[in-house]
Amino acid sequence: MKSAEGRGRTLDEAVDAALIELKESRRNVDIKVISEGLQETVVEVTVIDHAAGSTEAAPANGKAEIARGLVEGLLKHMGVRAQVTVRPATEPITLDISGRDLGALIGWRGETLRALQSVTNVMVGRHLDEGERIIVDVERYRQRREHTVREIAMRAARQVKMTGDAITLDAMQPFERRAIHLALEGDPDVTSGSIGEEPERRVVVGPRKPAAE
Amino acid sequence: MPGRAAERIRKAIALVNSVADDAGDEDITPTEIAEAIRDCLELSEVDLVPNVRKYLGEALDAVSDGMPADFVAMTLYAALGALREGGSLN
Repeated sequence: MKSAEGRGRTLDEAVDAALIELKESRRNVDIKVISEGLQETVVEVTVIDHAAGSTEAAPANGKAEIARGLVEGLLKHMGVRAQVTVRPATEPITLDISGRDLGALIGWRGETLRALQSVTNVMVGRHLDEGERIIVDVERYRQRREHTVREIAMRAARQVKMTGDAITLDAMQPFERRAIHLALEGDPDVTSGSIGEEPERRVVVGPRKPAAE
Repeated sequence: MPGRAAERIRKAIALVNSVADDAGDEDITPTEIAEAIRDCLELSEVDLVPNVRKYLGEALDAVSDGMPADFVAMTLYAALGALREGGSLN
């Protein structure tokens, strides 16, 4: 598989640098954040081999293949023409749905996609271990959202460090809040927490130590 | 006003999803989820569209029975879908 390392001031810049080197678009790659700091972000970008994803993963991971088959069947019943592949080497098992005009499958703020994931997990449930889950992504929407909110987190952290004031972000879904908490957990200067009630729960990024009196 | 019912169902779904997705920043108990579903059932508008009350009742049963979060979420999505379908037909 073709891959390249990208460096940049922000996550987007680092990804773009690698994409230019690979001559690929975002929807065809897997992005792994190697390091994320105030000065520089380093990522490893790997081109996805869709054909390999659907066939090679089968013998190695029976559960993933069962899930893939079920989702493929479900989409067929829904009249959606799309390709379902197992994202290679990911934990938890992640299914990628790709095709044309799949916006309806994502829905408002990813609602339809989230519903599809729930249905998938119910269908595959008896093949999974306790606590094990299947992640469903459409056109890398979820992955792109995670990258976006991580970028937002880093920007918020920079601002908090400059001003010393806490920042309340927009309401987000649980997986997005999780991405922010994970992005900032290693930062010695800022901390993140959440306030409010679902579905309006928001992340607050603030200084780890109280501002000087 | 089907908007209120949709809003409350969405809130219940968000609670269930936060359990399933494990954001790691809150502790949601089954009691809270059950309360959110009961809040939906209190609205008379859920009777205006076929199946909405039925799905909500099933979701409440699923919470009581300790069914997986995804099962509860799926049933709530069914209620939301029925509501949306009923709303668009009116």
